[in-house]
Amino acid sequence: MSSRRVIDVSGLPHHGFDTIDPVWWGNNGLLCIETSMFMITIATYFYLRQNFVTWPPPLGQLTGPLNPLPDLFFGTTNAVLLIVSVLPAVLIDVSARRNSRGAAQFGLVICLLFGVAAIVFRAYEFPAVKFRWDANAYGSIVWFILGMHLAHLLTLTLETFLLTIWCFVREFDMKHRLDITALSIYWYWVVGMWLVLYTIIYWTPRLS
Amino acid sequence: MADQKKQGTAKLIEVELPQSSIEQDRKQLEKTWAHAHGVLGWLMEVDHKVIGLRYIKTAFAFFLFGGIEAALMRIQLARPENHFLSPDTYNQLFTTHGTTMMFLFAVPIMTGMGIYLVPIMVGTREVAFPRLNAYGYFVYLIGGLLLYTAFILNTGPDAGWFAYVPLSGPAYSAGKRVDIWAQMITFTEISGLVGAIVIIATTFKMRAPGMTLSRMPLFVWAQLITSFMIIFAMPAVMLASGFLASDRLIDTHIFNPAEGGDAILYQHLFWFFGHPEVYIIFIPALGFISPIIITFSRRAIFGYTAMVLSLVATGFIGFGLWVHHMFATPLPQLSQSFFTAASMMIAIPSGVQIFCWIATLWGSKVHLRMPLMFVLGFFAIFILGGLTGVMLASVPLDLQIHDTFFVVAHLHYVLIGGSVFPLFGALYYWFPKWSGRMLSERLGQLNFWLMFIGFNVVFFPMHQLGLQGMPRRVYTYLPQTGWGSLNLLASIGAFILAAGVLVFLINVFWARSAGAIAGNNPWGADTLEWSTSSPPPVYVWEYLPTVEGRYALWMQNEKTPLVVGLSTTKREILSTSVVDAFPELRFEVPGASIWPAAVALATAVAFIIGIFTPWAFAVAAVLAFAALAGWFWSNPDYENVNAQNPTEAFMKPTEQPKELQPKEA
Amino acid sequence: MFYVSTAVFVVVLAALVVAIVKGYQQESSDDLPQLELTEANKKRRTNVVLASVVATVVILFIFLLYSFLIGKGLTSELAQKNGVVIEITGHQWWWEARYDNVDASSIFTTANEIHIPVGVPVTLSLKGGDVIHSFWVPNLHGKKDLIPGKISTIWLQADQPGVFRGQCAEYCGLQHAHMALWVIAEPREQFNNWIQSQIQEAVVPATDSAKHGQRIFLSSACVMCHTISGTPAGSNIGPNLTHVASRQTIAAGTLENTREHLASWVNNSQRVKPGNRMPTMSFSDNDLQPLLDYLQSLK
Repeated sequence: MSSRRVIDVSGLPHHGFDTIDPVWWGNNGLLCIETSMFMITIATYFYLRQNFVTWPPPLGQLTGPLNPLPDLFFGTTNAVLLIVSVLPAVLIDVSARRNSRGAAQFGLVICLLFGVAAIVFRAYEFPAVKFRWDANAYGSIVWFILGMHLAHLLTLTLETFLLTIWCFVREFDMKHRLDITALSIYWYWVVGMWLVLYTIIYWTPRLS
Repeated sequence: MADQKKQGTAKLIEVELPQSSIEQDRKQLEKTWAHAHGVLGWLMEVDHKVIGLRYIKTAFAFFLFGGIEAALMRIQLARPENHFLSPDTYNQLFTTHGTTMMFLFAVPIMTGMGIYLVPIMVGTREVAFPRLNAYGYFVYLIGGLLLYTAFILNTGPDAGWFAYVPLSGPAYSAGKRVDIWAQMITFTEISGLVGAIVIIATTFKMRAPGMTLSRMPLFVWAQLITSFMIIFAMPAVMLASGFLASDRLIDTHIFNPAEGGDAILYQHLFWFFGHPEVYIIFIPALGFISPIIITFSRRAIFGYTAMVLSLVATGFIGFGLWVHHMFATPLPQLSQSFFTAASMMIAIPSGVQIFCWIATLWGSKVHLRMPLMFVLGFFAIFILGGLTGVMLASVPLDLQIHDTFFVVAHLHYVLIGGSVFPLFGALYYWFPKWSGRMLSERLGQLNFWLMFIGFNVVFFPMHQLGLQGMPRRVYTYLPQTGWGSLNLLASIGAFILAAGVLVFLINVFWARSAGAIAGNNPWGADTLEWSTSSPPPVYVWEYLPTVEGRYALWMQNEKTPLVVGLSTTKREILSTSVVDAFPELRFEVPGASIWPAAVALATAVAFIIGIFTPWAFAVAAVLAFAALAGWFWSNPDYENVNAQNPTEAFMKPTEQPKELQPKEA
Repeated sequence: MFYVSTAVFVVVLAALVVAIVKGYQQESSDDLPQLELTEANKKRRTNVVLASVVATVVILFIFLLYSFLIGKGLTSELAQKNGVVIEITGHQWWWEARYDNVDASSIFTTANEIHIPVGVPVTLSLKGGDVIHSFWVPNLHGKKDLIPGKISTIWLQADQPGVFRGQCAEYCGLQHAHMALWVIAEPREQFNNWIQSQIQEAVVPATDSAKHGQRIFLSSACVMCHTISGTPAGSNIGPNLTHVASRQTIAAGTLENTREHLASWVNNSQRVKPGNRMPTMSFSDNDLQPLLDYLQSLK
């Protein structure tokens, strides 16, 4: 019989929170990619701005402002909405960690509602920019920024939708609790990114 | 049952490991990790060894296509005012050649090498995200097929592999050629990004106990750093090609100067990606050279820490060079000088690596086998290319040799010398592991010398052609320029080089059935992949290894522990901590699944039909959601439900179990 | 730079070759791996590697300084002086050159061949017309891109008379390969004579054949793209032909300006430069000969 030194790992769990789980690394890697995308898009926004005397440029009409800024209402409402939505996001995060299924279900539904609302408001933000995407470079880049972030709102909301359904009809197991914590990180990221983009689109032209 | 055991830590114990139990585990593991079969099975398989080899073979096929394109170009350029190819065909050829080599060969083959070897080198059975990995391959394949379908139908892109606006914009490139190029970029970049995520997660979380970061093989370091570079560089080209596609398809004006857009912006976006891209291609090759030098000099590498820091430095500095592709544009001279400095500075970490390699070889016993021959080829060719790179970094000199054949010479010296030669060395080195057979040394020598001589005959004269004023991307030239004889020489060299590649293919096909049997470790190497059979079993190891030092197989002994306690009926691998590789989780990985192919199909609908109408994205979004929902909802096939878990049966501890503390791993 | 680079290359490769030759072993993989070096050995190697790195840094720094100083030298001086100002616009696949002047009646436009005076600074204002081109006359100056939406300026000076060839150095489409130009540097007096002749309107056709040729020119598609000043032909799409016979080459430096070449270019330019913007004309010989007579009279 051969005697052998071994490391017996049979007692180890299958999942762990945060950096212990490989999925955390995967998700945050994806967020690094998306952050890079937005950083470069923001750089593009400021680069194009150099080509314009006034930014936004004048509308092509004889009357009207020389500097048609995007309307604040929908963008600001969205920003406020998203900031408030951090609360249910924290709730689902905490309840997933504490294994409280009921609280997680509730929180997920609230998140879902916020997500849908944000998408609806975003749809109104596009016309609030006084130019279409094909009018000039200003219109193009602003629509791009709004559109890219909208894509994230859609993904976020759909992911919330899937997890909400799961938490109601299937087991509240460790894997899906981890998915909820990952979702909450994504949520914070989407909100944080919007605050940066909102400031850039709506305020940097006003403040200079 | 294992889940209900005392949850907690790993234990270091001594057990009896009778042969019969090992056999039983083996049989069970073969079933649990078995491949899926048939056509559907091909679509569903997620084994990283399978996916890795698919990447490598597909990329090599594209390498051959790219080479044929180059050969055709060389025939056209062999004589002045040649009529072998029309200007349109030639322009499609050089565009496709560059695009193929950069996007469809170089990056994917490095990805493939990493996907196959990184998990095994760090001591695990599978990558962290097998299904994501499979998705990455399908997306790459679709992108390549898209490009070549267009090319064969004479609607290939013809604006260069870099597709500068306004030439590539809606006004000056009619039809869908450039749109196809732009969307192909999307596919290959998604694939690269996905591969990077997989490699980072695997490298950080799946290393064998004992393999701290400072004991990680340099191959793995190179792949890790490359993966980080991919994450920060590829978004730039996604945006460049995305803006270009939208300028063309839906009339945005990002690059249209008439409406405030900017043509130089495109160059910034493209080269912010494009320069790191060449390091993304180069750094994995540096990761091939180190293990080959270590193995064939039978020595620890000199200056491991310096080597790691050099790789990191190269990665960082690589992001600060991009404007050196734009010295001829009207950017201010002072800012251009910054990029001259950075472009020269990057020679320093490369120099450190070269000096450390020579220091390793000096005074060692050198076994000059084929992998090392190709590495020597690297030294001769790459160093010359690096020196011409330093020349190009100087703005006044660059303004004369930019966009001439001098640059063509330089880039091929650094890419072929710096990546392709080490790659061939790596193929000779790891082919025995993948196939169980050794490649022929004699054919290898012929392969090497034909490639080495052929390469120099093609590309060395091009330095002179550039200095004589021959610009790039010209389908012909006037006889009065006097460029004819050097061009003819270069064209002859192309066929010598091609013969070398042909010999390699012959070697591969010969060796598959007639090569010497390799055994586990034909080279006497130190890294973990050489401790399993050639080719490895589907489950790689019955019991995962641990390591005692930087050179795993050279530093292990009978007391080096194995890992037991992972299920043989579920697909489990061991997840460990990032810095110290302390065991943390039994990580379940999924088996064969159709969902990666389904999501790849949705991606294909989005970006292929999106060439023709923007509504494709809306349709594809719905399809993608359905496929992702399926992926999310599916049973990940962790468990082989018909078996027992016999691991416990034989484990009779012969001494008191020791709870493992982090420092003891 | 070249000699230092060669020296570096030789030294590094020599070190490699010596290391390999010294250590060369025949077959055998069963010798034990050497995991540790002696302290003395390690120290020696560290010193050599460090010295090499320091040498590399020093050499690179010297290159950098040298490069920066030369770059400054290229751009600073000539910018101060006023000389000839030429505005160059890049087109697919020819060069438009407009000689600027304070006196508006002295402004003229020509194509593909520019004259400059020896010893006088020349300011070239480079504008992108359609796609990116790159102006490059190797004997006179490094290249500079012509980018739509931007203006680049370079200053050059010919110290000796000569005939210098340039070629577009940025891929610009189908006929990028055939987009050359000629720069003729001549003494001041000759240059002034050339200017004077370029400012004049086109020569009035003297012979019947040339007159017939002019009629053909003005009634066919030629007039849609080309300008001949002094005639109704005034389009800017193609090169200005007012003094086409005075040029040494045609088709952007692709063909020498002989009657035979002119005939094949005018009648079937798609054979010479496939994909260029001039359509195939297919004049009958009855029309072509007078037309050529006319064009060849436009000195």
